[in-house]
Amino acid sequence: MTLQTAPTIEDLGEIAEQVWSSYLDPEGVNPLLPFEPGDSEKTRTRGESICASVSITGAWHGHVVVSCSALAGRHAAAALLAMEVPEVAQQDVVDALGELANIVGGNVKSTLPAVCMISLPHVISGVGVDSHWPAATQVCELVGEWLNEPVSISVWQSRSDRAEAAS
Amino acid sequence: MRVILVDDSRAMRMILRRIVGQLGFEIMEAEDGQAALEAVTNSENVPDLALIDWNMPRMNGLELVCALRDDPRTRDMTLVMVTTEGEQSQIVRALAAGAHEYVIKPFTSDSMVEKLALLGLVPNEAENAQTGA
Amino acid sequence: MTLSSTNFTFVSRLVRQEASIILEPGKEYLVEGRLLTLARKAGAQNVDEYLQQVQSRPDPIANHMIVDALTTNETSWFRDREPFQALTDTVLPNLVTNRANHRGLRIWSAACSSGQEPYSIAMLLEDAIPAGWRYEIMASDISSEMIKRAETGEFSQVEMNRGLPAQLLVRHFERHGASWRIAPSLRRSVTFRRLNLSTPIPSHQPFDVIFLRNVLIYFDVSTKRSVLHNVSQLLRPDGWLFLGAAETTIGIDERFERVPAGRASAYRLRTPAPLSAVGKG
Repeated sequence: MTLQTAPTIEDLGEIAEQVWSSYLDPEGVNPLLPFEPGDSEKTRTRGESICASVSITGAWHGHVVVSCSALAGRHAAAALLAMEVPEVAQQDVVDALGELANIVGGNVKSTLPAVCMISLPHVISGVGVDSHWPAATQVCELVGEWLNEPVSISVWQSRSDRAEAAS
Repeated sequence: MRVILVDDSRAMRMILRRIVGQLGFEIMEAEDGQAALEAVTNSENVPDLALIDWNMPRMNGLELVCALRDDPRTRDMTLVMVTTEGEQSQIVRALAAGAHEYVIKPFTSDSMVEKLALLGLVPNEAENAQTGA
Repeated sequence: MTLSSTNFTFVSRLVRQEASIILEPGKEYLVEGRLLTLARKAGAQNVDEYLQQVQSRPDPIANHMIVDALTTNETSWFRDREPFQALTDTVLPNLVTNRANHRGLRIWSAACSSGQEPYSIAMLLEDAIPAGWRYEIMASDISSEMIKRAETGEFSQVEMNRGLPAQLLVRHFERHGASWRIAPSLRRSVTFRRLNLSTPIPSHQPFDVIFLRNVLIYFDVSTKRSVLHNVSQLLRPDGWLFLGAAETTIGIDERFERVPAGRASAYRLRTPAPLSAVGKG
């Protein structure tokens, strides 16, 4: 049986708000500011970026991706690991973004009607890296700005899931 | 009081370390259930508290809870799951396996302190600390 | 980008007036940060521009949203724990004896905010009330937005993490998207109403227990007196009143006396002297 329901952008907004207020912006002074749906072009980062994802399997198949600029990644690592931004090393960014993808992905997974499994996070970084899933379609994406840097949270569903659902 | 932090994520261990460190706990860490079990059973002083993630390699959090509750040496530890597994049925499973409390990520520092206070593990002054605007 | 002092003063005055929050100079960063989302939504370039807009077109809703953004939400389930322990250990046995004929209890959560307090009481009573007894909970707040929120019975993940034992979570809540919703049966046991406690309150059937927690601290002495007077009109003569941890009726309303209730304090109306003790002329 394939589930036909999928997470919504409202779910992503709620999840992001809670992750930010718990770890990245506890004082509530530097929130993630969502863009309007038409502004997603603003997130196409020129320059170095990070992309952290988890995969969900079971009754629902797909991926949850958190991506942002390298600078946003360093800020995230600084916030999570209680460091100053200049002290942050690349491994810190990888660990921090991986955990953020894990938390966002886990919360997305919990919105699904049946209990699914979540993979370990997978993090890639480099110039112009972007989430690209040939066998999946994007279900929804939350894009916004944090500390003037672009951030994207997206959910992708496997094509085979959607084909089954349609048949 | 002693605590062991069990999570394969270094970032999460650091977040938890800050919170329990401020409460005055002596801290042990482990990256997976197997390492945690070994550390605890080999230790002279079994920790009072364990904060346990669910999804980890080698031995997951649920298996660790079962193992700790089965062993007379570790049976009296207070076990708190700290995890992204947020489905109702998962919480029921963990409580049935012997976990005493359950925290779903993301959590604020205040809420973690409150959960530990519920379990009687926090000295009064820390419990009453206010967050302000 | 620093907030202009006029705008900072405007905000400080507003939050002082509406929520008794003191914002000292030095907290400009807090105002800027917390109002940024509101400013963007209103189409302003920055918080200064937004506040200029708000001041040129006074609007109580905008003011309220500003106050909201600057208020730290400290709502927790079973807040301070001891009054709730007292409810089960001390108050309930007392009422079960005194209401044996009636077999019903009425409880009022008089500053219910987003609903954690009345629903906490409902969860407790579900377990503690004897078989065959009924209970009714009235929950009120001065803010109609809060009442609307509380009526949904829906709470975010972060709110659910605050002081709610996991056993109660799995028994009384269900997931709803990224949030949790209280079970319909518990939701139905609470009636919500918007009420301003500093003005006379419409007549209701009196209550056995009233929770008036963390409200009086926001008022000056004469308002405290009015609120206590208005609220006490709805308390049964042998009823119980719970205030916030740092609050007391002492010095405000001498009709109440403080009584120990487990590790908490409760307030009850002093038994009046019998009329025959008053000398006839």
